[in-house]
Amino acid sequence: MPGGATLQAGDIHHVWNVFFLAAIGVAGTVYVLIFWCIVRYRKRGNELPPQFHSHKVVETACTVIALLIVAGLFALSYASEARIERTDPRPAATVRVTGFDWSWRFEYTGGGPTVTGTPDHPPVLVVPTGRPVHIAITSADVDHSFFVPAFLFKRDAIPGLVSTFDLVVTRPGVYRGECAEFCGLDHAAMNFTVSAVTPQAYEQWLRGRRTAGRPPGPAASDVGSP
Amino acid sequence: MSTAAALPAPGTRVGLLGWLTTTNHKHIGILYMTTTLGFFAVAGIMALLIRADLTVPNHPIVARQTYAELFTLHGTGMIFLVIAPFGLGLANYILPLQIGAPDMAYPRLNALSYWLFLLGGLVLMSGLLTRDGAAAAGWVAYAPLSTTGSPGSGMDLWIVGVLMVSASSIMTAINLIATTVLYRAPGMIMWRIPVFCWDMVVTSLIILMAFPPLAATLAMLLIDRRLGGHAFDPSQGGSAIVYQHLFWFFGHPEVYVMVLPYFGMITEIIPVFSRKPVFGYTAFVLTTLAIAGLSMAVWAHHMFTTGAVVNPFFSAMSLLIAVPTGIKYVNWIGTMWRGAIVFPAAMLFAVGFLLNFLIGGVTGVMIASPPIDFWAEDTYFIVAHMHYVLGGGSLFALFAAVYYWFPKITGVMLRETWGRLQFWLMFVGFNATFWPMHLLGLWGMQRRVVTYPDLPGWHAMNLIASLGAAVLGVGVLVFLWNLWVSLRDRVAAGPDPWGGYTLEWATASPPPEFNFETLPPIHSERPVFDLRHPRRAP
Repeated sequence: MPGGATLQAGDIHHVWNVFFLAAIGVAGTVYVLIFWCIVRYRKRGNELPPQFHSHKVVETACTVIALLIVAGLFALSYASEARIERTDPRPAATVRVTGFDWSWRFEYTGGGPTVTGTPDHPPVLVVPTGRPVHIAITSADVDHSFFVPAFLFKRDAIPGLVSTFDLVVTRPGVYRGECAEFCGLDHAAMNFTVSAVTPQAYEQWLRGRRTAGRPPGPAASDVGSP
Repeated sequence: MSTAAALPAPGTRVGLLGWLTTTNHKHIGILYMTTTLGFFAVAGIMALLIRADLTVPNHPIVARQTYAELFTLHGTGMIFLVIAPFGLGLANYILPLQIGAPDMAYPRLNALSYWLFLLGGLVLMSGLLTRDGAAAAGWVAYAPLSTTGSPGSGMDLWIVGVLMVSASSIMTAINLIATTVLYRAPGMIMWRIPVFCWDMVVTSLIILMAFPPLAATLAMLLIDRRLGGHAFDPSQGGSAIVYQHLFWFFGHPEVYVMVLPYFGMITEIIPVFSRKPVFGYTAFVLTTLAIAGLSMAVWAHHMFTTGAVVNPFFSAMSLLIAVPTGIKYVNWIGTMWRGAIVFPAAMLFAVGFLLNFLIGGVTGVMIASPPIDFWAEDTYFIVAHMHYVLGGGSLFALFAAVYYWFPKITGVMLRETWGRLQFWLMFVGFNATFWPMHLLGLWGMQRRVVTYPDLPGWHAMNLIASLGAAVLGVGVLVFLWNLWVSLRDRVAAGPDPWGGYTLEWATASPPPEFNFETLPPIHSERPVFDLRHPRRAP
């Protein structure tokens, strides 16, 4: 599995690893027991097997073990989620993201540019690497979801609701983004790109967009070179 | 047992008018189950079309609108018209027999339930015949996509159809509870009713808690669509997020409505074929009750990515509900432990359930963690998870139940050879279809897309899934063939072909009109076993 390209993805991936190991451990044990039963306790003769009805110690022990496992998993998940959802009071950029049928609009606050895409020309979200980027997301029509698989993260865009989160992209690169909540005919084409560039390149891109003052053009020309 | 008083074989002498007017629980049970298998064929063909569409990247074979209708009706059909009602249909037939009752408590209400169910299913699907096509907003029908986003009348038909089916389920739930409480035979105290009956009582309680909110939500949706309401319209003071809350307040308990009956069926079948009593009867009942209680407090784990719910609470509840569910594996393994296990098709499907459901269970624990859910939500990982629960789990248990109770219901055996072939085709086909979807989801393939880009591995995994679906489809054809062969060249089953434990095996196959001429004494949860082994009876 990819490790993820954001600071937050590191936490998510760590939670995944622990849960995955726990799942392998529990499922592996249960599979061994099931296969043991179906191989070892196949009917061999006509004798009636022992007719025991319960075993309080085994039942109680299994319940306690299961409770301890889920309690441990919850503690890990709770702590990680708190870190993932922490927002920086002074982000390097704040972007208002709006999902609509069937593309995205990225508005950089503080006099920054607005990038609007179409299904045929997916918009590009240019962000600086290593700096917190604050996203405030909503929808103009139906439910959507802002999903960047490489960030191991998504957040729904819901009309009438503004939801916020931070991203700190650690690796420069171009990342594929998609809509994860079914939103109608062109749901599968509601893509976007995240272009993570160095802070210097980001400032340069921002200045270029400010001075140009042009209306949002075809998205392909919006790509900042990483 | 007298066989002279047996009912005529289904369809031979009851006559069309008899089937249309029947209030007999066994006839209604047969109607219910046959109808769900019919809808299973329809929703299954839709699934095959979905897989065909996704076989090759960037080359959808159906139009976007058609695709959305297919996955909407596939999901709605399997959930509301197959998995949930089959449990109710089987309970209709088996539950009165298992508690030694002559019929359901309210036979005419029972008939109304069935006909409302059939009509609701047909209305729901009838959108396919309208000019704008059927509902296409997914089985969750999130507003505003299902209101302003779906102008066609197919959506209205879907809402009305689901409303009728949910009303039908509520009536059946009342009937099952009343029957179990009021109609148990002398000696059949609650702590002796078969586990399947317990599971149906608890399922019915969940239905009574979860379906009225669904009905209210659907009514609000209809009012928003046609009568100028704004309950879910944010631009007029309504709320889209409230729709999600209301829907999942029904939607997650509904998952347990779709698994608890199947837990019950498996827990009837495994003991009989292990020649042992169920291990931990009391624990099984208590964990079932715990699941019912907790199931009302986990709904918003479907909303972790909205940023609008208290994730840790719902995460904790969702992790907690895994405990009583996991303890059931202790019951099942403990039942097989030191047993003398035989493997007819019914038991093969039961073991298939154990193997498949476990994967759905552990992935369920994973996505109960909000951080993991941020990654997995609305991807094929979720599709894999819930198909392992409802397909690999409930559907395999459904076939286990069909092989187990078919002889009781029809008086004839299903062919074991075809049954085994069906099991292996379905087991291999199922896992080939849904295992690759875990990877696709983690790689970022989102749900409900008509096509997908040709990224590394995506084509291969989708191809395997589509081939697996074809094998699964062949398995179902083998089942239909088995039904045909077995009903054509009939091999009589006799009253108790399996060495059963519970009261339905103490009467003829099929049972006479009022089920029993005499009842054996009831001193435990396995009266028929006690009859066979008097020295071991309590």
